[in-house]
Amino acid sequence: MSAIALRLVHTRDLLRELVARDMKIRYKRSLLGIAWSLVNPLAQILIFSFLFNRVLPLNIPNYTAFVFTGVLAWSWFSTTLLAAPGTIVDNRDLVRRPGFTTAVLPVVTVMTNGLHFVLALPVLLIVLLLGGGQIGLPALSLPLIMLVQFVLSLGLTYLIAALHVRFRDIQHLAGIGLMLLFYLTPVFYSAASVPAEYRLIYELNPMAGVLGAYRAALIEGHWPAPVPLLQALLIGAVVLAAGFAIFRRASARFVEEL
Amino acid sequence: MQPAIVVAGLGKRFRRPGADRPTSLKETLLRGLRGLREETFWGLRDISFSVPRGRAVGVIGRNGAGKSTLLRLIGRVGRPDEGSVTAHGRIGALLDLGAGLAHDLTGRENIFIAGVIAGMTRAEVQQRLEAIIAFAELEAFIDSPLRIYSSGMQMRLAFAVAAHCDPDILLIDEVLAVGDLAFQRKCMDRVRAFKEAGCTIMLVSHDPEQIRALCDETIWLQQGTLVAHGPTSEVLEHYMAAMGRREAGTPPLDAAEQGAPAAGARRFGTQEACISGVRLLDRAGQPVSLVPGGAGLCVELAYSVAQAIGRPRASVSLHRPDGTIVLDCTTAATGIELPTLRGDGLLRLHIERLDLVAGEYFVNTGLYSHDWTVTYDYHWLAHRLQVVAPGPQQGLLNPPVRWEIEPGPLQRSEPAARRPLKALSSIEQLPEAVDRSPAME
Repeated sequence: MSAIALRLVHTRDLLRELVARDMKIRYKRSLLGIAWSLVNPLAQILIFSFLFNRVLPLNIPNYTAFVFTGVLAWSWFSTTLLAAPGTIVDNRDLVRRPGFTTAVLPVVTVMTNGLHFVLALPVLLIVLLLGGGQIGLPALSLPLIMLVQFVLSLGLTYLIAALHVRFRDIQHLAGIGLMLLFYLTPVFYSAASVPAEYRLIYELNPMAGVLGAYRAALIEGHWPAPVPLLQALLIGAVVLAAGFAIFRRASARFVEEL
Repeated sequence: MQPAIVVAGLGKRFRRPGADRPTSLKETLLRGLRGLREETFWGLRDISFSVPRGRAVGVIGRNGAGKSTLLRLIGRVGRPDEGSVTAHGRIGALLDLGAGLAHDLTGRENIFIAGVIAGMTRAEVQQRLEAIIAFAELEAFIDSPLRIYSSGMQMRLAFAVAAHCDPDILLIDEVLAVGDLAFQRKCMDRVRAFKEAGCTIMLVSHDPEQIRALCDETIWLQQGTLVAHGPTSEVLEHYMAAMGRREAGTPPLDAAEQGAPAAGARRFGTQEACISGVRLLDRAGQPVSLVPGGAGLCVELAYSVAQAIGRPRASVSLHRPDGTIVLDCTTAATGIELPTLRGDGLLRLHIERLDLVAGEYFVNTGLYSHDWTVTYDYHWLAHRLQVVAPGPQQGLLNPPVRWEIEPGPLQRSEPAARRPLKALSSIEQLPEAVDRSPAME
């Protein structure tokens, strides 16, 4: 095997073991095991379905399927970014180890939380089939949409993980930022109901584009509009490049700051 | 042939750790530009050498000399501020062995985790799995969760994994002390086997014997600079001579001022912070080695810290020659936080009264990191204290006591009617204790 191939295989194995380690630790000693990862989104979906079907009707067709899609994808995004500050700080002994590539740790964070999303997909499928989703060929674009979300989340995770080593209040800021962003992203409402003068906020928000794409592919049954998705990919790529550059620069000092 | 390691003009600068540096964004913004100037120092400077393939090189020096920093830079942890480090090939490290282990997972699962962290692919770990388990001598426990392992078993597991990843370069940081003596010997044999197989080894130690046993050549570091680099026997000779001169240069110690014992049997610790001397003082501040029972005692530690250490903890304990601990004081238990230590200074523990039975005692002293995980310096069985006191010879305590007798029928009388028995409590003969009874404290 050539040196590069060996490195690739090793990186794959490293990711696999570290993601598996995190998943096993989280669910090893719990009764429901992996099903726990579904409890939180399911609780949110119950609340949203009740609130916006009954109390304040939003008149969105197939609302349960609509909100389920939004909440699941948003959960991946928000749990990742909430875990991001601890990515380096909580792995002090790995960061200090000679030969260990610190840059894999943020990837592990995004993948571990992404795995929850993937494991919830069968449940989503059932809800879609029962709740009027249109599962057809456009559903094949799902991996592409997930890739866009992955790139965006990874970029932000690199940034937050590196900054948190230096500034230990980043995790509070991340929490507040995520809460604001939750309401500014059409998770439980539709972007279509936003007045025209505020549209710009939504067009600049890459997660709005990503959620729109998921819903187009899974609920409306047509291929996602390319422009918002490409725009999200572009923003994600810029964030990833910047986040990785900052992470690289900061990583020279990680050992001293921990 | 291309050398395995090339270090050229290497320099690494550190920020001086201290309370001044803001650790949050809020603080940084509030301080604005005033907080931006930082004190730095060179942890390593102007280091150049190269190591041919298959050579074993020792790095010796006192603590704070930059040995571990050098090892980590070779292991690509952190980036040099000057110069460069080039290391060719797979790097294995016998340091921070427990990294990444998960206590809820089984030994077998942890072997895979530790294996990929050490640089092996899963296939490689799979191939060596049986050998690793056999080396760790953990066949019976391998499918039990790690949390039931003793710390010795965990280290054996971690070492066994590290010992099976056939590195091209092996970095060792004084961790050969794993498990019992038999296992340590096995570890040493394994390291020798690596060397015979052509692996390049860098061993950091402040123990000349460990280096002599393994290394062809030795690098001597002092305060971040390279003092000497050459054949092990020559460099060690110079090193020991220099160390000997240091020791000969200090005045002889009297009984009360026993100072710091030599490293070894009666002392251990990383020496990042040293207890450079211990004095036992009486109330007047005079050095003593013999105190009357009931008298006060002050234990004075002279410390010497090369690089500032934040919030360390200190301990002083007294015990009998048979090991019975009669007093165990730590700054933490007293509710005291020590400030950041740097440079030299004195730390005193005042013991108001030593109400101990007569006999010989030892004073043990220690300095530790805030979370107790690192022992910087610990003096054990090094400082003697003689307590002289009449009264009981058995037991441990000898506080001021008095007996009282109340003859007559069994009914409690007024206190005034009680008759103390005079002068039977021999402790009263001691001037320190004459007018002090516990009630007056």
